[in-house]
Amino acid sequence: MVNAIEIIGLSKQYSNGRGIRDLDLTVDQGDIFGFLGPNGAGKTTAMKIMTGLMKPESGDVRIFGTSILTNYVEAIRHVGCIIETAESYPYLSANDNLKLFARYYPDVDQRRIDECLDITGMLPYKHEKARRFSLGMKQRLGVAAAILSRPKLLILDEPLNGLDVEGMLDMRRLIKRLNEEEGTTFFISSHLIHDVELTCTRIGVIYGGKLVNVEYTSNILANYASLENYFVSEVDRNARV
Amino acid sequence: MPGFKAAFTNELFKLLKKKKLIISVILSIIAVLIGQAAVTAVQTGFGLRIAGSTEFPLIVLPVFMYTILPMFATFVVIDMFNGEFTSNTMKLTLTRPVSRFGVFTAKVANVALFIMGNLMFVMILSLVVGFIFNPASTGLIGVLRVILAYAATFFPVFVFSLLVVVLSNMLRSGLAVFFLTILLFIGFIVLSFLFSQYSSFFITSLFDWYSRWISESMNVFKLMRQALLLLGYGIMLFSAGYYLYDRKDL
Repeated sequence: MVNAIEIIGLSKQYSNGRGIRDLDLTVDQGDIFGFLGPNGAGKTTAMKIMTGLMKPESGDVRIFGTSILTNYVEAIRHVGCIIETAESYPYLSANDNLKLFARYYPDVDQRRIDECLDITGMLPYKHEKARRFSLGMKQRLGVAAAILSRPKLLILDEPLNGLDVEGMLDMRRLIKRLNEEEGTTFFISSHLIHDVELTCTRIGVIYGGKLVNVEYTSNILANYASLENYFVSEVDRNARV
Repeated sequence: MPGFKAAFTNELFKLLKKKKLIISVILSIIAVLIGQAAVTAVQTGFGLRIAGSTEFPLIVLPVFMYTILPMFATFVVIDMFNGEFTSNTMKLTLTRPVSRFGVFTAKVANVALFIMGNLMFVMILSLVVGFIFNPASTGLIGVLRVILAYAATFFPVFVFSLLVVVLSNMLRSGLAVFFLTILLFIGFIVLSFLFSQYSSFFITSLFDWYSRWISESMNVFKLMRQALLLLGYGIMLFSAGYYLYDRKDL
């Protein structure tokens, strides 16, 4: 079976010296992959390259076997994403925002838009302008936009940002449900390590722009008291090197 | 081009939802009405006949094309590029199944549509106002000349807006693009006066090429040369704009 994500020798350096170097990583179909790393480690840079928002200096990303560099449209067709912050057009209603995105997918109709708004708890605010939304509501709308096309892969950068406790629980349930029922693969970066521990099946740790370890969550928890302990020990170990 | 149709429809939808469109319509109406009021005042006050019904749109055109039209075309371009880059909404489009070329072309096509729509609106409005105030001098040839003049005006204004597209993809701040556009616009006009032998190289000097299209003696070679100059500028500016847009990291 073809990998959901295959990152090969990916490099991108900023003028301040940060960025990613020779990143190699594969994510299997059906994984809920947690991408962890300290601030400035290169998580968002990697995710931006994976979604075509940034061009790498070298290397490639293949999504379900299709290169993001040579066949972007085909590669991104099965991807939904939230990168950095969940944005929306502030002068449009939640429904109009989703209608814009729906135009790129022939099989997404008004019923699917309503379904996504319902899943994310935004249906009562369907006709409200996005500029009046709270951070959590914008995040929910961002999630609705990401799942709209029933993507096979969801790349989520800090998906729990701004969500209240109930919202976090809903999001965890949604990730589990989409993974189990529709076989959706997830690539998630989050600083809320407890949520990552409860949600993700595999963990990758990035430090100083390099991938330092990839391990199944079950194996990590067999050897460490918590994912937090594992993460701290990995970061400390690599900081000493 | 996959995704172009969706990108084009979305850009149009966003454009129609913006207040700038309404303001440009209101300002266009005001400009036409002030123009007609001035013409009527001179005609009744001094007894001078300034414009017939189909001449009035040709009086409005130069005023409109040197002020409201390029200004609002610049606003639209800044909104489409700088506005979306700074508000981080550009990524909403770029993470959908559409190529950057598709998105860029859809945006530029909407700028063209805006200029075309604005010109058509002012043409119809000024024709109607002209007919109402000077019904005696109506003629089919006159109407055709007006249509030809307004259609010809589209090209230089569109090429100028492509220059703004290039600036929008070079500079991050929309305000900087706006002021630089004004400086370039004035600079081009001044330079074409100072170096009149090179005036064809300044886009703004081609703004009034419509007058060659409607003049009694049409100089085909000069028209052809100017058309090719506009085409050359258009291709170069479109390519430069796309090159910058495609290389942009978000």
